[in-house]
Amino acid sequence: MAPSTKAQWAQPPSKEELERRNTVNINKETVTNTVSTDFPGHFPGEDHAFSIDRFQSGFDITFHQNDQFHASFSLVGIDASLANAFRRILIAEIPTLAIENVFITNNTSVIQDEVLAHRLGLIPFKGGREGLRNFLRFKKGEDAQDYDTVQLDLNVTCTVNTDASPNETDPLKAYHNAHVYAKDITFTPQGRQEQYFSGEDAIVPVNPDILIAKMRPRQTIELSMYMNLGVGSDHSKFSPVATASYRLMPTIKITKPIIGADAQKFANCFPEGVIGLEKVSKKEAGQRGSGYEGHAGELKAVVVDPMRDTVSRECLRHEEFEGKVQLGRRRDHFIFSVESTGQWDSDELFLEAVKKLKQKCKKLEDQVDNMVR
Amino acid sequence: MPGRTKKDEPTAQDTNMEDAPPSAQPEAEEVDTEDQEEVQEEEEIEPQRVRILPGSTDTAASFEFVDEGHTVGNALRYIIMKNPDVEFCAYSIPHPSEPKMNLRIQTYDGLAVDALKKGLADLQDICDVVTDEFTTKKDQFNAEHGIVR
Amino acid sequence: MSREGYQVPTASAGSGAVARGSTGMQDTRSSIMSYLCGDCGGSVHLGKDSTVACPHCAGRVLYKERTKRMVQFEAR
Repeated sequence: MAPSTKAQWAQPPSKEELERRNTVNINKETVTNTVSTDFPGHFPGEDHAFSIDRFQSGFDITFHQNDQFHASFSLVGIDASLANAFRRILIAEIPTLAIENVFITNNTSVIQDEVLAHRLGLIPFKGGREGLRNFLRFKKGEDAQDYDTVQLDLNVTCTVNTDASPNETDPLKAYHNAHVYAKDITFTPQGRQEQYFSGEDAIVPVNPDILIAKMRPRQTIELSMYMNLGVGSDHSKFSPVATASYRLMPTIKITKPIIGADAQKFANCFPEGVIGLEKVSKKEAGQRGSGYEGHAGELKAVVVDPMRDTVSRECLRHEEFEGKVQLGRRRDHFIFSVESTGQWDSDELFLEAVKKLKQKCKKLEDQVDNMVR
Repeated sequence: MPGRTKKDEPTAQDTNMEDAPPSAQPEAEEVDTEDQEEVQEEEEIEPQRVRILPGSTDTAASFEFVDEGHTVGNALRYIIMKNPDVEFCAYSIPHPSEPKMNLRIQTYDGLAVDALKKGLADLQDICDVVTDEFTTKKDQFNAEHGIVR
Repeated sequence: MSREGYQVPTASAGSGAVARGSTGMQDTRSSIMSYLCGDCGGSVHLGKDSTVACPHCAGRVLYKERTKRMVQFEAR
């Protein structure tokens, strides 16, 4: 039998106890209390069974930044296994369009064919949302279709700029097309691609100024490229994010007062804005046992913004702070940072990752049903 | 596939090694060759990727997931461990070069398969909650900061 | 398209196929090869006994011409 979830004798855990369980301790040379313990049966008499209502009431998201290329937000009240699943899906399982095959007709530039092909593959592209999300599909089989393959071309020849002065030393001025940029790539819509990828929605590089190759007069590059959908687990060129990462919310607990010159030194142990200096009030100074007795008007260190801390542990290296500060991280507070490469918006990507996880579970559910039958 | 079993019967006495099916599992691939043309137009039928490993009982079972990894493995392990009927749950990837993930579930009460099903359902519920919360907070933030996209 | 099918670029078109696989036996028609001069960039035609030098600038560094076939690469 399962252990009973409620015991009469058990006291509900105190606030301090909950905080202790929820903190990963960061000590001078070790990290302790790293494992989640919120499982049924872990603490006698406590109910940790999953319920969606309980999850919903404990879950919270706060946005810090939401730009196209960078979104930062906090997920609070979720386990690392789930936050990590979202992160992993962001990096490896959301499909994007990238150059997969390069057909080189001529390349007399100094950059080798295979290196050039590799460089082209890594260029991020953008295009009409509807077309990318709903029209395009994964390529199956050999034949290219309008719904699975996008064709691009790159035809550039470097020539001498006759208008330039003969003494010109800057290749960009002395020659035409001395630098080949991503903007030189042209897109030719095939079939129904016309209706999804025209005008504003054309398939173009996210950043037109990516340098592909450098050339000198009479050198030429003539090639065409085929793009396919793919996922990051296959090749990182298909990853929709430059980085998607999270860190746990740092906690700084000043357990004994840090006053005067020490306070300034303490603040210098942290990045700017983490520790602030406040004057010790008369009331505090008057309070016996507070540690502030007779220090009215002096400066004391207070924690202002622990989120900005990098958890460098510098403050633990100094003798004068020993036993006065406890560093840690909140186990269930994930500060996500998602940097999109441009094909998707960063916030859209996270939603897509959640959708993907749900989709995977749904598929597995069907598979399990099939297996049982 | 009752039809297929009958057809095999006359030759069953003397099956060539190469003709014999590799396992007792029904060959899912062969069944849908007839309507493969239609299938390709529609959603493709997925091959069976989950199976119960031999030696499993009702309350203590190991499952093998093909083409799944730490992403689903760890999330599923966590959510199944949150089920009070479950005594033990763990996952492992036996070898990094095989795309397989094994999940072990032992229950106090009820079937291990049911715990797995509940886990998958709970994960989907969580995804809905996260999506809703994310969307509301995102819209709120965008409205406050005048972000239009 | 595989890279194995590399065809030696030659001055006289169509003669490459004849020359292939006959390394020992020299075919006079295909023994004229076209190169690119490393110094002046001009094209240089050389027979099998001619000195390796560019007739225009006397440059001694000559490059083979690139294949005229289209070559496929995976962008990986």
